[in-house]
Amino acid sequence: MTTVNSNASRPRLLAGIAGKHAALLLAAVILGFPLLWMVLTSLKSNVQALAVPPVVIPNPILFSNYPDMLNAVSFYRYILNTLMYAAVTIVGVGISSSLVAYGFSRLQWPGRDFLFKVMVSTLLIPFFATLIPLFVMYKKFHMVGWYLPLMVPTFLGSSIFSTFLLRQFFMTIPQSVSDAARMDGANEFRIYSRIILPMSKPALATVILFQFVYCWNDYLGPLVYINNQNWYPLSLGLDQVLGTYTTNWPWVMAAATTATVPIIVLFFFAQRTFISGIAIQGTGDKG
Amino acid sequence: MSSPSAALPPTATSRRTKLSSFRLTRQTRNGLLFVSPWLIGFALFFAYPFFATVYYSFTNFSGVGAAHWVGLQNYRNLLHDGLFWTSLYNTGFYTVFELPLSTLVALGLALLLNMDVRGRSIYRTIFYIPSIVPIVASCMIFVWIFNPATGIVNDALNDIHVSGPGWFFSTFWSKPSLILLGLWGVGQPMVIYLAGLQSIPAELYEVAALDGANAWARLRNITLPMLSPVILFNVILQLVACFSYFTQAQVIEGSNVGGPGTSTWFYVQYLYEQAFQFLKLGYSSAMAFILFVISAIVMVILFRSSSRWVYYASEN
Repeated sequence: MTTVNSNASRPRLLAGIAGKHAALLLAAVILGFPLLWMVLTSLKSNVQALAVPPVVIPNPILFSNYPDMLNAVSFYRYILNTLMYAAVTIVGVGISSSLVAYGFSRLQWPGRDFLFKVMVSTLLIPFFATLIPLFVMYKKFHMVGWYLPLMVPTFLGSSIFSTFLLRQFFMTIPQSVSDAARMDGANEFRIYSRIILPMSKPALATVILFQFVYCWNDYLGPLVYINNQNWYPLSLGLDQVLGTYTTNWPWVMAAATTATVPIIVLFFFAQRTFISGIAIQGTGDKG
Repeated sequence: MSSPSAALPPTATSRRTKLSSFRLTRQTRNGLLFVSPWLIGFALFFAYPFFATVYYSFTNFSGVGAAHWVGLQNYRNLLHDGLFWTSLYNTGFYTVFELPLSTLVALGLALLLNMDVRGRSIYRTIFYIPSIVPIVASCMIFVWIFNPATGIVNDALNDIHVSGPGWFFSTFWSKPSLILLGLWGVGQPMVIYLAGLQSIPAELYEVAALDGANAWARLRNITLPMLSPVILFNVILQLVACFSYFTQAQVIEGSNVGGPGTSTWFYVQYLYEQAFQFLKLGYSSAMAFILFVISAIVMVILFRSSSRWVYYASEN
């Protein structure tokens, strides 16, 4: 039966290869077009952006939309706020998720697997099922208005994705590593901080990367808790640009490009970390 | 067994159990210490607010002052609230179309990427990148390219003598447009499917080819069953996201929230508005609890049904 394949005529085989490429190319054009159009629009004059029939290549290429937009909107401030939000929560997630993951993977104790299941199943509960009392609670503690309600939980294991990912990684480290250290009299915290964490740099890098992307993207959290425009993160700043400048699409697209490019650059530098992080999440093993 | 030897072992075992139970408590103590950040977080940011939501839902709480018990009043009012039903319908509509379509698209793209052709990694990058574009930025892009009057999509449709619809500004097309936006960002499930595809042993396909199975038969009898646990995982994640669908609709409809008409009022948007615009915290808590109940029921049905369609290779 295999001969059927090898007997397939050469034109048919070539047609197959061409078909595969055509399908991939078509998908790439459709999925890539919106970003391409975003960048092209951001380099046009407003007149050119609205021209009918549409002008594809901006002529002249107008870079001035970027400085103009950045001056009109407090974009730098939004980016700084976002970086601060990301930096603090990365520390929180790095510390708490690795501790919790250690307890859920490197130690044997009754109830461990049950609690782990409880933790993972909270991922299924809609965010809004707990939002209102949380807001009331933070209000009572005068924490609404700044990033504390978004930061504090990360120090208490709120990033379940990170905990899960680190646990998966910790489980791949042979138990003998810990046993040898215990023989030498090291306590668990020492094994965690001096042996397991240094061995888990790739997993920690993934966690840091995803937390950064999460903060860069986060809209709902800041929408609920940040009401002072000076403290807006990027997402709320962008939202405001869209609401204010709908008559100036090149500016809107310049803002979108400014927000998107750092993430894409980051992706190119850390492509493997991105892809394997998602694969671990989905298939439970290091993809 | 003589009596002396029978007398000895018990002491030995009791000492051993003592020792192991001592070790057990120490291990348990250590384990609980390590997971304690999450335990505290769970109690503070999850268990307490969850039960508080249930409690608030039976009160007229407004955020200030005391909460007065009103029994089932909030739930009764919801039954007569047209926007509650509209937002529930819109969310259901979005879920019913987005879930299967995004599964098909993500799976389709992953199958394309799994083919043995040149330039796979470039294609993978292009397919994946839309999913990491900041959500608000992706909303901006779609509002622009689907702009009814000046967007490139309707320009292109004009060229082939089709008059393009109002997209985000049309009561009929607003939800389909949001679905298109969702489909653009399927990079994450796509990567998970791709990892799943690559973990399917090649021998399975070789054996099937020997048996003369065609591509369709291989997809149906090997690929899909082997991939079913991953499909279940992605469907769960998608469902959770659909039930809490908020950001895109909120950003795109902007000041005309829920519009045009009431076509993009989504459930949690209405909940949000009731809570934070009108301070009807009791009312919105009732909505939150109903959302929890609905998603719990859907999850239970999904897990129950999964034993029929999810195949775990290790069990066989």
